[in-house]
Amino acid sequence: MSHFTFNHLHNFHSIRDSYGFALRPQFAQRYREYSLIYKEEEDERSDKWRSFLEQVAKSSQPSSSENKHIDRLKPEGNEIIEKTIVDRVRKGDSSDRNSSEGTEVEEDNSLGRVGEGDDSSGNKSVSDSSTGNNIGKEQHRSEEIKKHKVQQWAEIMPSLTAIDKIMCSRVKNGKNVKGEKINGNNNRLPSIEESEPVEGVSKEDMQEHVCTNGTPEDNALQDQESPEFFSPWKELETLVQGGVPKDLRGEVWQAFVGVRTRRVENYYVDLLAQESISSESKDQDASSVAFGKWRKQIEKDIPRTFPGHPALDEHGRDSLRRLLLAYARHNPSVGYCQAMNFFAGLLLLLMPEENAFWTFVGIIDDYFEGYYTEEMIESQVDQLVFEELMRERFPKLVNHLDYLGVQVAWISGPWFLSIFMNMIPWESVLRVWDVLLFEGNRVMLFRTALALMELYGPALVTTKDAGDAITLLQSLAGSTFDSSQLVFTACMGYLAVTEARLQELREKHRPSVLDVVEERARKGRVWKDSKGLASKLYSFKHDQAPLVEERKPTEGGGMVADEDKSELESRSSNIDELLNSLNVDSELDALPDVQDQVVWLKVELCRLLEEKRSAVLRAEELETALVEMVKEDNRLQLSARVEELEQEVAELNEALAENKEQEAAMLQVLMRLEQDQKVTEDARRRAEQDLAAQKYEVHVLQEKYDNAVASIAEMQKRVVVAESVLEATLQYESGQSKALSSPRAAPAKKTGLLNFGLGWRDRNKGKQESGESLSNNSTPREESNNKEQDR
Amino acid sequence: MGCASSIAARDSRQLGFPNSENDGGHDAKNLRVKLVLLGDSGVGKSCIVLRFVRGQFDPTSKVTVGASFLSQTIALQDSTTVKFEIWDTAGQERYAALAPLYYRGAAVAVVVYDITSPDSFSKAQYWVKELQKHGSPDIVMALVGNKADLNEKREVAVQDGIDYAEKNRMFFIETSAKTADNINELFEEIAKRLPRPSAS
Repeated sequence: MSHFTFNHLHNFHSIRDSYGFALRPQFAQRYREYSLIYKEEEDERSDKWRSFLEQVAKSSQPSSSENKHIDRLKPEGNEIIEKTIVDRVRKGDSSDRNSSEGTEVEEDNSLGRVGEGDDSSGNKSVSDSSTGNNIGKEQHRSEEIKKHKVQQWAEIMPSLTAIDKIMCSRVKNGKNVKGEKINGNNNRLPSIEESEPVEGVSKEDMQEHVCTNGTPEDNALQDQESPEFFSPWKELETLVQGGVPKDLRGEVWQAFVGVRTRRVENYYVDLLAQESISSESKDQDASSVAFGKWRKQIEKDIPRTFPGHPALDEHGRDSLRRLLLAYARHNPSVGYCQAMNFFAGLLLLLMPEENAFWTFVGIIDDYFEGYYTEEMIESQVDQLVFEELMRERFPKLVNHLDYLGVQVAWISGPWFLSIFMNMIPWESVLRVWDVLLFEGNRVMLFRTALALMELYGPALVTTKDAGDAITLLQSLAGSTFDSSQLVFTACMGYLAVTEARLQELREKHRPSVLDVVEERARKGRVWKDSKGLASKLYSFKHDQAPLVEERKPTEGGGMVADEDKSELESRSSNIDELLNSLNVDSELDALPDVQDQVVWLKVELCRLLEEKRSAVLRAEELETALVEMVKEDNRLQLSARVEELEQEVAELNEALAENKEQEAAMLQVLMRLEQDQKVTEDARRRAEQDLAAQKYEVHVLQEKYDNAVASIAEMQKRVVVAESVLEATLQYESGQSKALSSPRAAPAKKTGLLNFGLGWRDRNKGKQESGESLSNNSTPREESNNKEQDR
Repeated sequence: MGCASSIAARDSRQLGFPNSENDGGHDAKNLRVKLVLLGDSGVGKSCIVLRFVRGQFDPTSKVTVGASFLSQTIALQDSTTVKFEIWDTAGQERYAALAPLYYRGAAVAVVVYDITSPDSFSKAQYWVKELQKHGSPDIVMALVGNKADLNEKREVAVQDGIDYAEKNRMFFIETSAKTADNINELFEEIAKRLPRPSAS
């Protein structure tokens, strides 16, 4: 009922939702947008539930009156409770918001009730008293126990008894199949019997409880179930999928889990008493070491459970501590596992402490059996099952995740282990829990996870690396404020995911998990040995549960036991350890008839031998499964390698292309070079030709020059001849003129002509000499120049 | 004449080829690293991650169930960037059964203990052994003594941490998520010790 207090939390400094849970700042805006929708939905479902409950109450009038009859044996303030609850339902959510004066007080009361265990004890009726004089003040029946410890217990409201009955019958049926769990627990906890003589009473009590509730009512129920309860059941399912109203949630959940049938009077109190005794004594045996460990871990985790939640004050956290410690006592095969603190915390926010304990027991022992134990086997199995379902439903998405190297279990593991707490918004968590607790199995876990993948798969496919994919999915899941969409997608979209299907898949995958666990156990023997009784007990419960009790008498007939031991080589050491630890506590009351024992042990021996044979067979099976797994693993590795190689090939191709380009360029250059060479060659040839032509010319010129020189020489000769002729002529003429001496003018003319001739010859002579001296060491060209000048 | 110069240009391109491959293999400059944090419950694994990624410290952080994921990219002085994909695992002993899921294929493991708790130090040693047995053989391991701000309550000597780390060829550092002491240094040092693809 303390959930009423949630309304007052708006002015808390950190951002919190209407349940008092912390909101991530980045989602605060989204939350505000949705809070209106939530309110509308809440109003609607309050109406629906009210009319449903009224209708059911009418239709099952006989059975509920019968129920009241039983209730009257333990008188209580049912009527008053009924009245307040009907009031509350009528007011619906509006009373939450507008909180009239009356409800305000009620809220404060209920807050106090959760918080102030000891203080309020004065107001409460003592457990066994049937007077119930202060019922009017208190809705909760409480039990006062030694050391001022007050446990609170409230009966489920009558308007929910119809639901309660259906659900309780489920618990009973389950119990029959599972061999009476609580009884089994009592056997496994001999210290309870020793330290608490009361326990014997409570055990009888419980058996009575089971009997009285079991035989007559069961039959009645079975008679009614098919004709009358079928349609309400369907309707209830629809209602649950639409969400349980906030005000009813605590009690409806208890009804779903079957708290009334589970509860054993005084059991919780005894557990606590036992816990406080053993925590004071400083025992050093294996079991108290384990308890010490859990106690330490619980102590560490209590402040880290919904830190800062306003309803979990000091007293609230004391309740949390007691609940967790009591559970560890109740089921040492689980003890305490992180995540359980959150579940217990949530339950304590919704219901009184002992109710929360029994709800918690139902969830962990039944719904999540094997999940939170030392080896966490079932939770590992579920991950493999989920992965297979993912591959079946979303092959593309899984392919993409494979490609990125993301394992589905990385993400879904925490989802499953925390039952989505702290993973999706609270409204959605509670809606998922509504359905999960109603259905009584883990189907809703799978459906919800699949729905989340359906909603966010398309976005995931666009991611480029593992980190981005996981970050995106985490943040998208955290923003799943549309709780109705989530629940409807889960419930409508995955009808084929049924408990039967899951069981089948679990059977298929369990061997591989067990193999790995065993492998680890074998390797880490040293480490494991330091572990407490719990893990031993666990392994016993899972392979040899009945053996434990049956083995006790063998202390008497040791011989046979020895034979047994040799048959069970692998387990014997374990048994020894277990027996030793049990010996500390166990008492051998009276020795039964030895001969009977021998016969019985022989039978048992046969049975064990057979079991061994089947175990061997199964081991072989497991081996093949392992080989397959390894193959798969190899395949994964290989595909990764192939990818790597492909990338390498791509790189090399690129390099090759570049090389080719370079080669082409080189070729071009070479070609150009060749061309150039050709050009130069041509030029050379032409130059040579030129040279030849020039040589020829030189030759020609030389010849001409020679000719010219020869002709000059001839001319000189001729000149000389002409000179001599001229002299001779002159001599002759002078001789004649002497003789004539008259014509003076004529000889003057002749001299002038001669002078000219001589001058030309002299000039020519000088030139010829210089030309000859040059021609000896000059190029033909210069010679030819001279020649030309000469010409 | 022109041909000679063009050949020289070709040569320089050829020399440049391995460089260009370094650039082309962008991953040599931008590393992606899977990192897993292991260690006893309550030693501050989540706080270290939150301090490193968001720069925040919450003295009342909540219990980690299963594992949680965060990523953060840092730039080194040689202009390479390293993107850490950080898996922060649950500390309780029984969650060790799930740990292989997270440390398998991790390039870096950060094993954390609380300097005020000798138990957590021996738990750290368990993790180191487990990683040596089952982790990838070239995993880079760091041993981190957290809560260094609680020096007056110290119960694990610095030298013990150093010695153990040295024996197991690990990198050792003491940090405080509360005061942010050595948190960035831790991740930077890890980044420096990563094997580079270009070196291979």
